[in-house]
Amino acid sequence: MIFNSITFAAFFGIFFILYWFVAKKNLSFQNLLVLAGSYLFYAWADWRFLAFLIGVSALNFYLGIHIEKTNNPKYKKLLLYIGLVQGVGGLAFFKYFNFFITSFNDVFQSLNFNINLHILNIIIPLGISFFTFKTISYILDVDKGKIEATKDWVVFFNYVSFFPTILSGPIDSGRMFIPQLQKKRVFDYRQATNGLRQILWGLFKKMVIADNLATITNPIFENHLQLPSSSLLLGAFFYTIQIYADFSGYSDMAIGLGRLIGFNVTPNFNFPLFAQNIAEFWRKWHISLTSWLTEYVFTPLSISFRDLGKAGLILAIVINFTICGIWHGANWTYVLFGFLHGCLFIPLILKGTMNKKKKTTKNKLLPTFKEFLNIAGTFIQVMFLFVIFRAETISNAFHYYLGIFSRSSFPVTEFETKTRTGENFVFIILLLFLLVIEWRGRENQYAIENLGQKYPRIVRFVFYALIIFLIGMYAPTNETPFIYLKF
Amino acid sequence: MERHDKLKQINDIFIDILDNEDILIEENTTAKDIDEWDSLTHIQLVVAIEKKFKIRFTSREIQSWKNVGEMIDCIETKFA
Repeated sequence: MIFNSITFAAFFGIFFILYWFVAKKNLSFQNLLVLAGSYLFYAWADWRFLAFLIGVSALNFYLGIHIEKTNNPKYKKLLLYIGLVQGVGGLAFFKYFNFFITSFNDVFQSLNFNINLHILNIIIPLGISFFTFKTISYILDVDKGKIEATKDWVVFFNYVSFFPTILSGPIDSGRMFIPQLQKKRVFDYRQATNGLRQILWGLFKKMVIADNLATITNPIFENHLQLPSSSLLLGAFFYTIQIYADFSGYSDMAIGLGRLIGFNVTPNFNFPLFAQNIAEFWRKWHISLTSWLTEYVFTPLSISFRDLGKAGLILAIVINFTICGIWHGANWTYVLFGFLHGCLFIPLILKGTMNKKKKTTKNKLLPTFKEFLNIAGTFIQVMFLFVIFRAETISNAFHYYLGIFSRSSFPVTEFETKTRTGENFVFIILLLFLLVIEWRGRENQYAIENLGQKYPRIVRFVFYALIIFLIGMYAPTNETPFIYLKF
Repeated sequence: MERHDKLKQINDIFIDILDNEDILIEENTTAKDIDEWDSLTHIQLVVAIEKKFKIRFTSREIQSWKNVGEMIDCIETKFA
């Protein structure tokens, strides 16, 4: 049941009515309904792991209460470790077990030993990378006294499995989200219309931009050995926009759905394609993941390595981003992707500009020439590394790069439009439309949040109608799953 | 050393590390109050304070302070 499907629309429509008309009087009724909706949503996607999800929630709920209650530091530590072992162990088993086994086999094979350990037929619980990070941050925060352990199990179970965000985030922190579950939600017209607007923009990015781009980039990545350099560059360029439109589109829908039922879900994107250096890119890309990593990985590491000066910072950031890469899945491509992103920070650390906020000219129509160069330079770095992210194996990525630099760029690519736009120029206009609207709206949480506020309502409605029309007209008819669903 | 002397010495460290002459910290100052004070300069500040007072904080202590006052409390425990 993906967000842009009829099934989900029906599910959410019924949920919305029950939530605001039947359950509105009473906080516990509201929370129980959200929980029931979340479990139905999760079971719909894959019922086999519902028990696992409930078990993980129950364990961490009790750990939180007892970590807070005990005065015995050893017992406290033990409880914390149980939570961490469950979280990290769960991820290691479900996501990485087979990867470890095949990597072991490869290593031994290369040493001429044939041990041939068997891989297991493991199915990954949906959303495990996302909800595990929520439970880990929760017990760490309780342990450090940054948050009070909640004694209401419905609240905690809802925090772990909140249906708009369970499958692919954003990864809410307990500090921000649990207090929202403890207050009764009251219907707010502005918040709801804001949510609808954000969903609309998310749908456009996902269905019109990302799904059409997929029809161009998939064949390029599949046939990269035969294509000229111009096609490969185009493939990398389009894939960068595709993954942005796909994941930020998904995130907008998740956040918008949250708003519709009275929640403020944590933001996930802040126009990363306009970032002026790689550090800024990661402050704007998948924010809920990077802020999690900054708090629970980078900061403790940089404190531990503090006597090493800049070398310590470099070590901390490279480890941090390698973990960021591995988080995406069990493939050496992700490891390398993260590691190289970490390496891109090295010049910034040496120059001392990693945390310097770039001064941007607010509300200007066009960037200055220097800003433009910075944006383009950052985009190119990001684009080249997304090739590794997209490739099936490191060797594929390597050959893709080799193709870009060794083959001729002729014939100049005519990308074959299997997109629903038919003509290439129509699709290019749609891409430009995206980029212009995003640039214009870059001071907001999402591009069309405050677009056209100074015009009469009717103008805005015509604009929204235009977007709906574009979705109806140009979205491919087959359902394309979200890229981040597999992480 | 009196508490307010410590505060003054720490203020000098802040001015030096954050490269801003106008900084005037108080017990209830937090990172939000000073633009240049972010996660990276925080570590530099910690290292400088450790050197100045010839003490060593644990990771846990460093991550637990909510404002300058709590940091000074922590420094005082090292001399107690």
